[in-house]
Amino acid sequence: MATELMQRYDSELSSLLASAEAHSGDGPPWLQALRAKGLAVHREHGIPTPKNEEWKYTPLRPMANKPFAVAEPGPAVFGFELPWCCDGSRVVMVNGRVDRNQLVVPKVSGLTVKSLRDALTEDADLVQRHLGQVAKIEGHTFASLNTALFGDGLFIHLAAGVAVESPIEVVHVTSGDGSCVAPRVLIVADPGSSAKIVETYVTDGDGVNMVLPVTEVVAMDRSRIEHVRVQDESEATYSFALWAIRQESDSEYRSYSVSFGGAIARLDQEFWLGGRHIVTRLDGVVVAHGKQLLDNHTRLDHAMPDCNSFEVYKQIVDDEATVVFNGKIFVHQDAQKTDAVQNNAALLLSPRATIDSKPQLEIFADDVKCTHGATVGRLEDTPMFYLRSRGIPKSQAEGILVYAFAAEVLELISIEAVRDRLEARLFEKLGV
Amino acid sequence: MLEIKNLHAGVEGKAILKGVELTVKAGEVHAIMGPNGSGKSTLANVIAGRELYEVSEGSVTLDGADLLAMEPEERAHAGVFMAFQYPVEIPGVSSTYFLRAALNAVRKARGEEEIDAMAFLTHIKEKVKSLGLSPDMLSRSVNEGFSGGEKKRNEIFQMAVLEPRLCVLDETDSGLDIDALKTVADGVNALRSPERSFVVVTHYQRLLNYIVPDHVHIMMGGRLVKSGGKELAFELEEKGYGPLEEELAKA
Repeated sequence: MATELMQRYDSELSSLLASAEAHSGDGPPWLQALRAKGLAVHREHGIPTPKNEEWKYTPLRPMANKPFAVAEPGPAVFGFELPWCCDGSRVVMVNGRVDRNQLVVPKVSGLTVKSLRDALTEDADLVQRHLGQVAKIEGHTFASLNTALFGDGLFIHLAAGVAVESPIEVVHVTSGDGSCVAPRVLIVADPGSSAKIVETYVTDGDGVNMVLPVTEVVAMDRSRIEHVRVQDESEATYSFALWAIRQESDSEYRSYSVSFGGAIARLDQEFWLGGRHIVTRLDGVVVAHGKQLLDNHTRLDHAMPDCNSFEVYKQIVDDEATVVFNGKIFVHQDAQKTDAVQNNAALLLSPRATIDSKPQLEIFADDVKCTHGATVGRLEDTPMFYLRSRGIPKSQAEGILVYAFAAEVLELISIEAVRDRLEARLFEKLGV
Repeated sequence: MLEIKNLHAGVEGKAILKGVELTVKAGEVHAIMGPNGSGKSTLANVIAGRELYEVSEGSVTLDGADLLAMEPEERAHAGVFMAFQYPVEIPGVSSTYFLRAALNAVRKARGEEEIDAMAFLTHIKEKVKSLGLSPDMLSRSVNEGFSGGEKKRNEIFQMAVLEPRLCVLDETDSGLDIDALKTVADGVNALRSPERSFVVVTHYQRLLNYIVPDHVHIMMGGRLVKSGGKELAFELEEKGYGPLEEELAKA
C-alpha cells in the first residue's frame, strides 16, 4: 500500500515537483539554496505512510487520488465575509499571496506588515537572517514542500520597544480546486516589542485543496506576543501546517490554536525556548465531527534554565471523527529549574469518535518540575440534569457544557471579539 | 396541584419508593421528614425527572398533566423547580449566562417573550441582594468555588428568578448555619403565594421553625407513614424516629 501510494503520488503530483524545480531559481542565492533543500527533503520523504511513527495515526490514503497543482492567484472577492474582529492591521492572503489592494496597516512607527516578496528586497538582511532559520524542515515533508514552493508570503516586523495595540489580523484564503497552497509567514519581534496577532485560515468554495502553511516567529528578548491561530478551512481541505517559534530571554509568547476545519488537518507546533526566564503558553482547542481527522503535534524544547511553559490542549470529538494529540517536551541538560506543565483532555460526544493521545516527556536536567496529564471523558449526567432541571433544553445544555469544556482555553484569549467569534463558531459547528 | 399516587421507584433495580401517596394543593407548604435512606431525596428527584431513578409504578401529575412523561426541562417549563441538595459546580459557564438561558427557555415555553441581557441584569440584581448574595457572584462560574451556604442561597435565588409553581427543596437546610438558614427561609417565605406550592424535604425540624408548613409527612421505608400538622414535626424533634419505627414494626 505504501509503495502504491508513493507511486501514485509521484505520477499525480509530479507537476508539483516540476513547479518546485522551476521555482528553485527564484530569489537571491541563499533563498535558492533554501528552496533546493526543501525540495530535496520533500523528495526524500514524499507523502508519509503510517509506517512513519510520526504519522502512525494519520493515514493520508484518502488524498492519494486527488491531483494537486500549484495554486493560481485567487480572486479578490469571496462568497463570504472575511472574519475581521478588530480595527488594526488587516492582511488578506489569497492562495499564499498578499492581496495588496486589501492590505490595511495603520501608521505605527516601527511596525512593518508587508508581502514577503517586497521584504526580500526592502528588508533583505532581516529576512535572510530569519527566514527558514526557525522552522526546522528536516523532519517535515510538507513544510519542506512549502519551502520549495512558496511564491509570496507575509512579513511582520516589530522594531525594538514597539507596542502595537490593535491586533494584527491575517486571513489566509484558499480558492480553487486541486490547488496546492503554500502560505508562508515570518514574524520578527525585536527586543521589548509587543503585539497580538490573529491568523485565520478559511476556504473559498468547495474545492478539494492542499494547504501547507508555515509560520515562523522570532520572539526576541523581553518581547510579548499573543498569537491566535484559527484553522477554519472547509471540510474537504487537506491541511498540513508547521508553526515554529524561537523565544529568547525574558520573552512571553502566548499561543492559542483553534482547529475546526479540514478533512485531514495536522498542525505541528515547535517551540524553541532558547533563553532564560521565558514564559510560554501553548494552548489549543480542537473540534472534530463527521469523519474529520484532526492531528496536533506539539514540541517544546526547554534549552535554557528558569523557563516556564504551560500547555493545555482540549479536544471535542463527535460522530466518527478522530483526533490525535502528541505532546513532546524536551528538557535539555542545561535547562535547570524548568517548570513545564502539559495537559491534554478530550471530550467524546459519540461512541464512534476516536482519540489517540501521546504525551512524550524527555528530561535531561535533574532539577526540574514537569507534569503532564491526559484525560478522556464524556459529558457528565449530573451537570446535564442540573441545567435541564432549570428548563434548558437538552441540546442547548450539551452545547453549554461543551463550551465550558473549551472555555478553559478560549477564555485565555485576551481579544474579546475573537473569543466571541470562536464561541459562536463552536456552537455553530456542533449544531447547538 | 401536585398529585402523587402509588409511586414506586428505584435505582438499578433496587426499590426505594414503595407506594407514595401525596396531594399538594395550590398555596400549601408540605414538609417531608424522615430518617436517612427513607427515600425523601429520591422522591424529590423523581418529581424533578432525574433519569437515574426508574419509576416502576404509579403516577405523578401537576394540574392533571403527567409529569412522568416529561423530560426534566419540560417539567421546569410546566413550573417544577427543585433546589438541589448538592448544587452542581459548572466551571466555564457564567451564572448570568446560565440563568438567562434558563429564564428564556421557561419564558419561551410559556409563550412569553425572551428577555434581553440588559433587562435581565436589572431583573436579577435586586433578587441577588435580597438573598444576601454578592452581585459579583453573577459574573462567576455557576457555583464554582461557592461556600456551602452560598450554593444553597444560589438555589433559592434561581428559584426566585424562575418563579416556578411547584418548588421542591431537597434538604436545603443541610450544612447551613443559623444565619444562612434564616436567609434561605426568608427567601422561600417571600415566594409563598396562593398560586405557589412547596414540598420541603428535610431531616431536621429546625428549618420548619422558619418555613412553617401546612402539612408534615413522615417517610419511612419508601412510604409516607404518618401525616399531620406542623405539631408533628415538634413531636419528632422531641422523640426522634425511634418510637414511630417501633409502632410501625408492631403493626
